[in-house]
Amino acid sequence: MIEVSGLSKRYGDFTAVRDLSFTVGPGEVLGLVGPNGAGKTTSLRCLAGIIPATAGTCRIAGHDITADPVAAKRALAFFPDEPRLFDYLTVRQHLAFVARIYGVGDHEALAEPLLVELEIADKADQLPGELSRGMKQKLAIACGLLHSPQVMFFDEPLTGLDPLGIRRMKDSILKRAHAGAAIVLSSHLLHLLEEVCSHVLILKKGEKIADGTLADVSARFSKGEANVSLEEIFLRATGDSET
Amino acid sequence: MIGALLYLRLTSLKNLVLSRVRRLRQPKYLVGALVGAVYFYFVVFQRAVHAGRLPAAGTRHPAVLPADLLPTLVTLGALVLLVIATLSWILPDGRAGLTFTEAEIAFLFPAPVRRRTLIYYKLVNSQFAILFTAALITLLTGSWSFLGGSALYHLLGWWLILATLNLHFMGASFVITRLMDNGITPWRRRLIILGLIVLVAGVMLAWLGRDLRAPTAPGTDLATFQSTSAYLRALAGRVNAVLASGPLPWLLLPAKLVLGPFFAPNGPAFLSALGPALLVFAAHLLWVVRFEVSFEDASIAKSEKRAARVAAVREGNWRAARGALKARPGPFRLASTGRPELAFLWKNLLSTFPVFRPRTLAIGAVLIIAGYRWVARDPDYRDFLPAFTVVAFITAGYTLFLGPQLARQDLRSDLGNSDILKTYPLHGWQVVLGEMLTPIAILSGVLWLALLTLLLAFHPQSLTWLTAPVRFTLAAGLVPVLPLVCALQLLVPNAAALLFPAWVQTMRNRSERGIEVVGQRIIFLAGQLLVVALALLPAALGAGLLIFATQWLIGPVAAIAFASVAVLVILAAEVGCGLWWLGQRFEAFDLSAELRP
Repeated sequence: MIEVSGLSKRYGDFTAVRDLSFTVGPGEVLGLVGPNGAGKTTSLRCLAGIIPATAGTCRIAGHDITADPVAAKRALAFFPDEPRLFDYLTVRQHLAFVARIYGVGDHEALAEPLLVELEIADKADQLPGELSRGMKQKLAIACGLLHSPQVMFFDEPLTGLDPLGIRRMKDSILKRAHAGAAIVLSSHLLHLLEEVCSHVLILKKGEKIADGTLADVSARFSKGEANVSLEEIFLRATGDSET
Repeated sequence: MIGALLYLRLTSLKNLVLSRVRRLRQPKYLVGALVGAVYFYFVVFQRAVHAGRLPAAGTRHPAVLPADLLPTLVTLGALVLLVIATLSWILPDGRAGLTFTEAEIAFLFPAPVRRRTLIYYKLVNSQFAILFTAALITLLTGSWSFLGGSALYHLLGWWLILATLNLHFMGASFVITRLMDNGITPWRRRLIILGLIVLVAGVMLAWLGRDLRAPTAPGTDLATFQSTSAYLRALAGRVNAVLASGPLPWLLLPAKLVLGPFFAPNGPAFLSALGPALLVFAAHLLWVVRFEVSFEDASIAKSEKRAARVAAVREGNWRAARGALKARPGPFRLASTGRPELAFLWKNLLSTFPVFRPRTLAIGAVLIIAGYRWVARDPDYRDFLPAFTVVAFITAGYTLFLGPQLARQDLRSDLGNSDILKTYPLHGWQVVLGEMLTPIAILSGVLWLALLTLLLAFHPQSLTWLTAPVRFTLAAGLVPVLPLVCALQLLVPNAAALLFPAWVQTMRNRSERGIEVVGQRIIFLAGQLLVVALALLPAALGAGLLIFATQWLIGPVAAIAFASVAVLVILAAEVGCGLWWLGQRFEAFDLSAELRP
């Protein structure tokens, strides 16, 4: 579903991402972790076709994001850390706009249950300026889910959500994964990744340190210890552990 | 403590100036600054200085205004100030809030600073802006030489007026807050003030009724005057009589004192007027600093609103900048399926004024046709028809040349959302076209109305070839051509936004002030006109040649129709190429790379 091979992104002399390769199959949730400046957001933006990669390929649902971006983008949804909304469109109008862009016929029938699931149905006629940050985040997610994407990229999706919102969001992500979506999730909330992700990829200074299932990565950095947390694995992998 | 606050202000000012000077090392700012400086020199300073409108301090102008009219002017000015001051008691509906920046609130409000110190800081702070405004007004009103005095007196006079008004607004807002704390709602306060106004007006009318019963002196009937100057004198006499009646002179006295220095014709008069004006200023100052009222909550809310407004303006979102947005229905029904570009038109029309709707265009057309028929039918009004054509030509000219700079509901205001736009399953040219549709629609609508006016009203006798069939054919040919011309115009600023995002002031957190920004805008406007002129050249040449070559064979009407089709094809090809190229640029556009130092 997501096939990345030799992905690199350079800004002049600075290399933000170097030779990144991995795959995410249907129903898998990949947790993308790394310290600040590791290249997580840049990687996600390249994968979603927002910025062009300097080298490498990325196939989304079988379509090369560079060669056939329209087909690839039709299959994906990108959720940035900061919800980008149009100030002058209401919640419902956002969904109408996105439906037209993606050609989602009879979008009202899809939108209503989505708004209910994300608990913003009562805000349908409000503008983003009248919504809390968490509500805005939910609206951005509703817009991304409207066309039932097969591939989803979440960049810090839980920022600004309350505990109940976080719980609902986790359930929502798992529900989409169980339905066959391939998901990449970038977050600093490692306990969340432990609960949601089937796989993990650790980045440091633009390079892949480790990837695989949680068990695989855990085995590699656990030094034979049992029940090592992802947080501990992360600290050991990125070289910041004092142990 | 005030020393620390002044340090903050002066250091900020110094750093601002230094950063502006430092950024001149970048060619884009240096070129902008040079062009801006040349513009200001030729358009403002040189004209003012060479026309003798900005004399050195102390030199005297020959007073053109008759001395007996000056008191009337002062009284009228005082009346204006009184009205403004009264409005400051009626209009506000919130608590007093001083304008602080978000950083000032974050640092100063929790700091061990007395409330009064904050007010002093705010007052001192506002003097920079007031002095700058006063200097600007003095410069722009340099042609008011009929008032006498000098530029220095006018500058100080404007400063006194603006500074006193500023204090009055602040004081009024404090009192209003106190009234609200005491349970007096804004509407109750307004009713009380309006009641007082009605009372004063009633007294005035009674007074005037008594005075006006006096027989009119012979020769003072305004209708009988032939000379303008005599008319003005008589009118001034009447106005003086009205404004000197009843309690009005007392009400106008403080405002008159504040205006005194501005209207002083010479040095001694200025100095003698300065004392009383400063007394009024000092009284206001005492009122403001001694009035104990809480302004912190409202100041925080005000600063947040201000920051949001500034951010909206920087993003080109003027609708959001005007204040709280209100949800409203879409401009038309947007079906779930169909051309995705129309979704951008729908979205961006929602971002602008609700007047830009198809029905407005229809109403405008009906009004123009009805107005034309009404004027043309009556021989007494037919002379006004040339005025219609002048207005239409001016409107069309402004729309064509300045419209693309004003109608910015395109990539320029949506570039901040480029991350989301780029995830849409659309080709780059589709996004660019969709984004440009709204300004194209708005500008085309205005141009079509101007065209309709010209079609109806522009048929000069001297242009014998401009027969009715020719006019109709020309207009019919221009209807589809004008949107393409608008599209060509809009391609330039949108290309600039993608190629030089740091130049085009569309990014968040970018400063929009300074002489260099003015220069940059001039460069962009000139560049836009140049590119469009070059783009229009093939179409114009082609059309000219076609008309010249074919009109002998097929007649002027058919030749114009033929040429219109050719123009349409050439312009459509140019716009298509432009969209394709810009689409490529959009697909390769990387905002994060653009913003890297």
